[in-house]
Amino acid sequence: MGARDLAVMMLSWEFPPRIIGGISPHVYYLSRSLARNGVKVYVVTCDFPGAPSREVVDGVEVFRVDSYKNPSPDFASWVYLMNVNMQKEAAAIVRSVGGGVDVFHAHDWLVADAGIGLKHVFRRPLLVTVHSTEIGRRNGIHFDYERMIHETEAWMTYEAWRVVCCSDYMVGHVRWAFGLPGDKLVMVPNGVNADVYARVGGEDLGGFRLRFALPEEKIVLFVGRLVYEKGVHVLVNAVSKVLSKVNAKFVIVGNGYMKEQLSGLIRGLGLGHKVLFTGFVDDDTLRRLQKCADVSVVPSLFEPFGIVALEAMAAGSPVVVSDTGGLSEIVEHDVTGVKVFADNPESLAWGITKVLLDRGYADWLRNNALKKVHEKYDWDRISQQTKDVYSNVLGEYSKSTWA
Amino acid sequence: MCAFYVVTLMEVLIFSWEYPPRVVGHLADYVRELAAQLVKNKVKAYVVTYHDFLTGGYDEADGISTYRVTNPVKTHIGVLTWVLTLNQEVERAAANIYYDRSGRQISLIDVHDWHFIPAAVTLKKGLGLPFVYSVDSLEEHRSHGANSPFNMAIKSIEWLGMYEAERLIVKSDWMRDEAYRVYKVPLEKVVVVSPKSGGWVKHVLGVYQSLVGGGGVV
Repeated sequence: MGARDLAVMMLSWEFPPRIIGGISPHVYYLSRSLARNGVKVYVVTCDFPGAPSREVVDGVEVFRVDSYKNPSPDFASWVYLMNVNMQKEAAAIVRSVGGGVDVFHAHDWLVADAGIGLKHVFRRPLLVTVHSTEIGRRNGIHFDYERMIHETEAWMTYEAWRVVCCSDYMVGHVRWAFGLPGDKLVMVPNGVNADVYARVGGEDLGGFRLRFALPEEKIVLFVGRLVYEKGVHVLVNAVSKVLSKVNAKFVIVGNGYMKEQLSGLIRGLGLGHKVLFTGFVDDDTLRRLQKCADVSVVPSLFEPFGIVALEAMAAGSPVVVSDTGGLSEIVEHDVTGVKVFADNPESLAWGITKVLLDRGYADWLRNNALKKVHEKYDWDRISQQTKDVYSNVLGEYSKSTWA
Repeated sequence: MCAFYVVTLMEVLIFSWEYPPRVVGHLADYVRELAAQLVKNKVKAYVVTYHDFLTGGYDEADGISTYRVTNPVKTHIGVLTWVLTLNQEVERAAANIYYDRSGRQISLIDVHDWHFIPAAVTLKKGLGLPFVYSVDSLEEHRSHGANSPFNMAIKSIEWLGMYEAERLIVKSDWMRDEAYRVYKVPLEKVVVVSPKSGGWVKHVLGVYQSLVGGGGVV
């Protein structure tokens, strides 16, 4: 590499202002922090209405490519078609900077084709972060459509020089799902930006809180897509059990295919006045909600990492999480949060009630959690770990022949 | 004038989704004949194609180097997803030829029909290799003008090929007019080469030569 900085090209189907799930903030914070730590970062991502096709964001060069806007036969076909454009543009960018990209770093199967193609055309190592898997999202592979995605993920991990996962749980899961050798996997945690919560104003939160709950109601907050794997139906089944002990308002943020079903269930239980579906909210509203929540709940059935728990912890909200996947590692029971049995409304209600009824306990969890966030999940620390992975890979690459 | 075309040895990558012994339609035999004729005219021809059972195979017969790749994703929901994942394998094979076999001496790519256009475009953007898009048939006629999202996707790839290619080689005046009617491709980009005409390979070679910088005539 000589005098030039290490240069990485990130491939991601989402990057702010395009935000669909957790990959967008992950790639944003990771790239920004890498750039601060002396890595040249190019991000190639999908276009978004109003966002420029090329800009520099916090030292990161961002390129937004035509994401294929004709109607598509289905989501997976769109992904593959989008990848045609992505790798075409990315290849042109690499050539325009004289081939000055040392590593390609792809995030999930959504950019698998582009990452693999670029790896071979430029003969540079490919790193892959597996944020989630099809077999995990669907709790098994049942249809050809799912199997195709699963096999695309397997192919991507096969082609990768190193596979990064955000939790020890995911390292084990990915190793099992694709039959990978252990030394191909590396764990680098996901991070959270605690500063944004410190900046959220305190004096007006009382008035803000009234938009969601009565003063005498505790706020129980759920943030996530309303899909089966997030276990929001478990929370809905826990509502009346919690209400028998403590007066609370359940605020459910997010959208998803289960929304109608869940709100129907709530109406049927006669709890419409106790559960509020807000839909998708903007960042500022979300952060203020997380700050005023008396407890944040993450009842997932499958959770590769559980960034939403970490965000709640950074916001100073006590957390109750199901003891599964990445959540098990983020939360230490009775120290930084409460862990409950997954898919178990009684257990979940017990955890929520325990936090809501014991102020001292809630504060203890809150303070410990905040400390943990700064210790382990700080982006500068994570980007340094990521940079070390790049360096190790490039060290191996420099000693090997391409075959 | 024919004799002057072949003074410079040229190395060409040929992409086709069918090639003997895997014959789907008549394209396989046409591409095989093209490669054989190119070799006779001192052009080094590398064919990259698909095969399920001869995969990984590299063979050299009658001077033609053939590389067969298979799809790393076995399960598919249709020909579109099948083609799009296969393209990365075509890129891999082509890049290996480019770096290792040819020592970066590839002059151009000749891509036959829509299947491997994505690979040709990425290689063009990444390695600066120009390509010729040889049109055997178009989605407009294969699907009788249907415009479902599936047909549109294939048409968008054909459009991409016409937009990015240096030249289109079509096999009849009718196809030239259709390419213009459906895709509004500039006619000066289109060359009609009827495979039934005498000296057709020289004609193809002439198109190749015009892309490589016109060199070769001494």
